[in-house]
Amino acid sequence: MIENFLAGSSALFGDPFTLAIFFFGVIGGMLFGAIPGVSMLTLAAILLPFTSDLSPAQGVMLFAVIYCTGTYGGAITAILFNIPGAPENAPTAFDGYPMTQQGKSGKAVGAAVLCSAIGGVASALVMMAATQPLATWAIRNIGPPEIFALVFFGLAVASSVGGRTIWKGWLSVLLGLLIATIGQDPVGGINRYNFGFADLAAGIAFVPAILGFFAVSEIFVQAEKRATGTFHAPKVGMSFPTLFELWAQKIAVVRSILVGFFCGILPGIGATLAAFMGYGEAVRWSKDKESFGKGNIEGVISSETANNAATGAAMIPLLALGLPGGALTAMMVAVFQMHDLEPGPLVFYNSPDLIWVVFAAMFYANLSILFVGILETKTILYLLKIPFQFLAPLILLLASIGAYIGRGLVLDVVVMFIAGIVGFLLRRSGYSIPGIVLGIILGKIGEQNFAQGMQMVHYDLIAYLSRPICSLLILAGVLTLSVGVYQAFRAPEKKA
Amino acid sequence: MGKLTKSHLIESAVWLSIAAIFFGFSFEFNQPIEIYIFGATGWPRVVIGLMLLVTIGNFFHQYRYGSAIQTGRVGIADEDETGNYDNLSAVIKVLAVLGTPFLFALSLKPVGFYFATPFFIALIIVIFGERRWKWILGITALLYALLLGLFMVILNAPLPQGNVSPFYDYSAFILRLNNDLQQLW
Repeated sequence: MIENFLAGSSALFGDPFTLAIFFFGVIGGMLFGAIPGVSMLTLAAILLPFTSDLSPAQGVMLFAVIYCTGTYGGAITAILFNIPGAPENAPTAFDGYPMTQQGKSGKAVGAAVLCSAIGGVASALVMMAATQPLATWAIRNIGPPEIFALVFFGLAVASSVGGRTIWKGWLSVLLGLLIATIGQDPVGGINRYNFGFADLAAGIAFVPAILGFFAVSEIFVQAEKRATGTFHAPKVGMSFPTLFELWAQKIAVVRSILVGFFCGILPGIGATLAAFMGYGEAVRWSKDKESFGKGNIEGVISSETANNAATGAAMIPLLALGLPGGALTAMMVAVFQMHDLEPGPLVFYNSPDLIWVVFAAMFYANLSILFVGILETKTILYLLKIPFQFLAPLILLLASIGAYIGRGLVLDVVVMFIAGIVGFLLRRSGYSIPGIVLGIILGKIGEQNFAQGMQMVHYDLIAYLSRPICSLLILAGVLTLSVGVYQAFRAPEKKA
Repeated sequence: MGKLTKSHLIESAVWLSIAAIFFGFSFEFNQPIEIYIFGATGWPRVVIGLMLLVTIGNFFHQYRYGSAIQTGRVGIADEDETGNYDNLSAVIKVLAVLGTPFLFALSLKPVGFYFATPFFIALIIVIFGERRWKWILGITALLYALLLGLFMVILNAPLPQGNVSPFYDYSAFILRLNNDLQQLW
């Protein structure tokens, strides 16, 4: 393994053009992740057509690097503006933004920098050592029933976070699932809920939905606060966390690496569920559960470690099975196809150079978060000093461009602003925006895998549940829901 | 009425309407799929059914406890407070903020991004409370130049050009300028 890694490193650093692409990916991913309104997906979508001029290794490597640094970059906007750069940064905002309001933005961003780097590097190392054995295990043990069970568990966890009551948490997730049914059904390709709009046949794209629910609704919330006199200017803090503070969170870091890696390795799941589960587990094991959502640094650490730990793991199903774990890995499949390659087990034998250049680049990209991230963060923290009336139109326009660029449809911009208004109203009523977004993202994956799983077992529910991993995950999901039901019938603690 | 308020009743009515509309429209694609016994309606109808159950649960929760936050909830920011809408200007401002981006989005197809953007920037700055006209013009020009520089000149991203004259002609003029600029290097 070390020999291969060194060969990959020398191929990366030995060619100036490849190295330039690497640095472009590092800075571009971080920057696009950190600019409110656009994300690493926007950059990736813009760059996709240009990768045909690169070699396959350079093209895939560029996207892998953007994936690593963009996942971190999205944490900056989540912490500073309550606008996650990507869905995988959504749980980071739960505690990161309250920390900003308390003048601890530097501490939150510092924790995100360090933990993203730790999670990413650990994941890259495990990815290098374990890709082939894990791929073999996954082929044998993970099928559609297990993926559906994981989606079920993830949605059960998501419903317990964010809403003012468990009922509102569930309604948020169910609304997301219902929105996900718009477009073609994943089994028969039958058009559902297009309401007479031909463009809706392709479904609601999740980038406009995310931008609307998070970025646009946040602008509306800020506008309402200014109009009604409840606005409190965030305090800008530059103090980074001490080593002692971070050492105290070592268990949370290790737990989140394991959670992130486990979620990332499963095809179709990716970093989003990893971040939610990392956050959920941090809450579950904490002695001070009530402090989450109010500026607990462990919330930021757990979410950011888990989502970056998932980036390395997400490459395993992509490279070993040809199954993407999220939007960006799906674009990597397109890069492979543009070069007449198919990601899958044969890539390890036909293009080992490509694999190890990508692995080495991901390792160094995660490491570079530590150095470039701190420098870039110090610059971005000054964004908070810009008066919001000047920042608001920029965020709205960047979001509009981000929504439009994906498919070139004005409808997506309209959908984004509708999602913004709906998100604004739901936030005021105590519903969970991350719950809705996770429902939208996982809805189609869940339905597709449920259908495939049921077909596999010939609609025999006993056979479905007799699969050990599947039954374990469904049991965990049912337990999570049961705790929610128990809480639902307990008296509330305080008045909203 | 327990602790129910008018907004609770509206909330429940909205959820029930969503469930009813989606259930009603599900008959439009209620056709069997040969390889899948639950068909295209199976999954959405289960989601609608669950939504109905949870809406009832939410209604009874609000009946007993009002808007109180439930014990043990996480990820709820303390700043989730509702503003004071006593004066009319606050209502108008919020409605203007909600409506302006929506109108901007609707204008993209006929007017195009290049023409509509400067007006949108200036309008949002004004709605957010800025009254110094030099700042409004200066920041509008700066943001417009920044966006054109990044997305048109550097990234060559295709943006809506509009389909109504003279807005379309203006977009064509800007794109021609960009093309001439690209020719320089």
